[in-house]
Amino acid sequence: MTLAANSATSFPSSTAQRAPSPRPRRSASTSTLGISLITLAALIALWFLAAHFEWASPLFLPSPGEVLTQFSAVWADGYANGTLLDHTLASLTRIAAALGVGIFLGIPLGLLMGLNRWVKGIFSVPIDLYWGLPPLAYLPLLIIWLGIGETSKIVLLSLSTFAPICFAAQAGVRSVPAERINAALSLGASRLQLFTSIILPSALPEIMTGLKIAIGAGLSTLVAAELIAAQSGLGYMIMSAANFLATDVVFVGLIVIAILAFAFTSGMRWLEHRLIPWKGKI
Amino acid sequence: MLRIRDASVTFPASDGPDVHALDHVSLDIAPDSIVVAVGASGCGKSTLLNAIAGFLPLSEGSITLDGKEIVAPGGDRGVVFQKDTLLPWANVLDNVALGLKYRGMSRGERHERSRRLLELVGLADFAEKPPYELSGGMRQRVGIARALATDPKILLMDEPFGALDSLTRETMQQLLASVWAKTGKQILFITHSIEEALMLGTTIVVMSPRPGRIVARFDADFVRDFAERGDIGPIQSHPRFIELRQEIRSLIHQPEGARTGTLQ
Ligand SMILES: Nc1ncnc2c1ncn2[C@@H]1O[C@H](COP(=O)(O)OP(=O)(O)O)[C@@H](O)[C@H]1O
Ligand SMILES: [Mg+2]
Repeated sequence: MTLAANSATSFPSSTAQRAPSPRPRRSASTSTLGISLITLAALIALWFLAAHFEWASPLFLPSPGEVLTQFSAVWADGYANGTLLDHTLASLTRIAAALGVGIFLGIPLGLLMGLNRWVKGIFSVPIDLYWGLPPLAYLPLLIIWLGIGETSKIVLLSLSTFAPICFAAQAGVRSVPAERINAALSLGASRLQLFTSIILPSALPEIMTGLKIAIGAGLSTLVAAELIAAQSGLGYMIMSAANFLATDVVFVGLIVIAILAFAFTSGMRWLEHRLIPWKGKI
Repeated sequence: MLRIRDASVTFPASDGPDVHALDHVSLDIAPDSIVVAVGASGCGKSTLLNAIAGFLPLSEGSITLDGKEIVAPGGDRGVVFQKDTLLPWANVLDNVALGLKYRGMSRGERHERSRRLLELVGLADFAEKPPYELSGGMRQRVGIARALATDPKILLMDEPFGALDSLTRETMQQLLASVWAKTGKQILFITHSIEEALMLGTTIVVMSPRPGRIVARFDADFVRDFAERGDIGPIQSHPRFIELRQEIRSLIHQPEGARTGTLQ
């Protein structure tokens, strides 16, 4: 009897407690952030310990302090024909140019490929073919055709950002629910209105995903390209430093690239929140 | 006046014989009437509605609206789908105003008109909300308001309340009955619920599968009473209601062999 009475009184109160908690998702994401920060701190602490007790030779693993000193030195005095800012800006300019080309060619062509079977038929074969190749494999060819200067690098990077954006725009068009299109047509939409008011916004989440993939692909191709043929850029700086076993400068370069990648990811997440807050709803 | 003459739709099947989803169906929908098509799943109800909406071409026959042949979707036929098709990036008001925007109506004018329609369906307070913050029943009401906004000649509704719980469903039926009484819009309504068909239809057509045909039609008048009183109870215990429900039920549940036997 007491048991029954207990459960009868405790049950409603527990549901009443649960009801007002407004957004369980957000609390989950903040708790992940805390764990991530702790992991990061632990990794840095491990680095300190490893360097302090010389688990590896200082030649291979510089201490955090040395890297910090080297960071300000490279920032102020430069390394390999340029300051850290010069190299970073050189890399950023290339990736921005490549993203620009990828967006301005990839989105329209991808949309057209999603809309028209002729356009898709004509363009999907060449894009599929080159997208299957490792960029560094055709870089020598681009250098032969376009020279060692900026053009060959920007073309190389544009090729690696273009394909994912183009594929995503195409997938975005094809992901529009048929009923949404039918509904708009029954409301009297013209072809142009159908495109601007239904197809384009419906494809936006896919396009944003493609953009994220393009940034990743561009960043990795960029550094690889600068390792092989460049006179500036973070990849070039890392490669020059490695040639002289300046491991601390290599670390500086890697940290800057990691920060850039993180900034791009966060920026994209912010853009998604702003542009498509409805993603995944309905 | 919507006129359907000998309309047939055949789908090619990957295995076996073609599917005759609609087989020589003829039907008129007069202004001021609600025609309800009722039948088991797969008897061609959606195919009929999709053909009228212009989403599907006919294999044979013709459908005309006020003498004009239907060849494509258009703003003269408003459609309400079973699953709502509201745009998640626009708020409720802009969703209702979508068809008016397509017609080039000014922003102020289309918002004013959309607000009146939201009042009609009881959602005036939700105009600024995004649709995904609304319940299923509310979203269907927005869908109805959106379809009515452009003042189409006919409203086509394909099991619009099929996905709702029974209480919400009753509220929605009342709402539709009163909207119809106020606007006098001609409506084609599709359902597999016999009660719903009788509550809402001025004409009820019973369909049967393989091939999709109209096997019987009945006239009913419960919807006027329903719109006035808004109460299902007394209507559903009316002797005529019970009699019709029994008759339609036995038509729908008749084994296929027996039915083709009587038709031949
Ligand atoms: N696009 C299609 N392709 C092939 N067969 C279809 C298609 N649409 C419907 N059918 C078939 O046509 C018949 C009628 O379908 P439908 O009109 O959706 O029935 P209901 O809406 O009454 O449940 C069913 O046998 C279904 O399998
Ligand atoms: Mg159906």
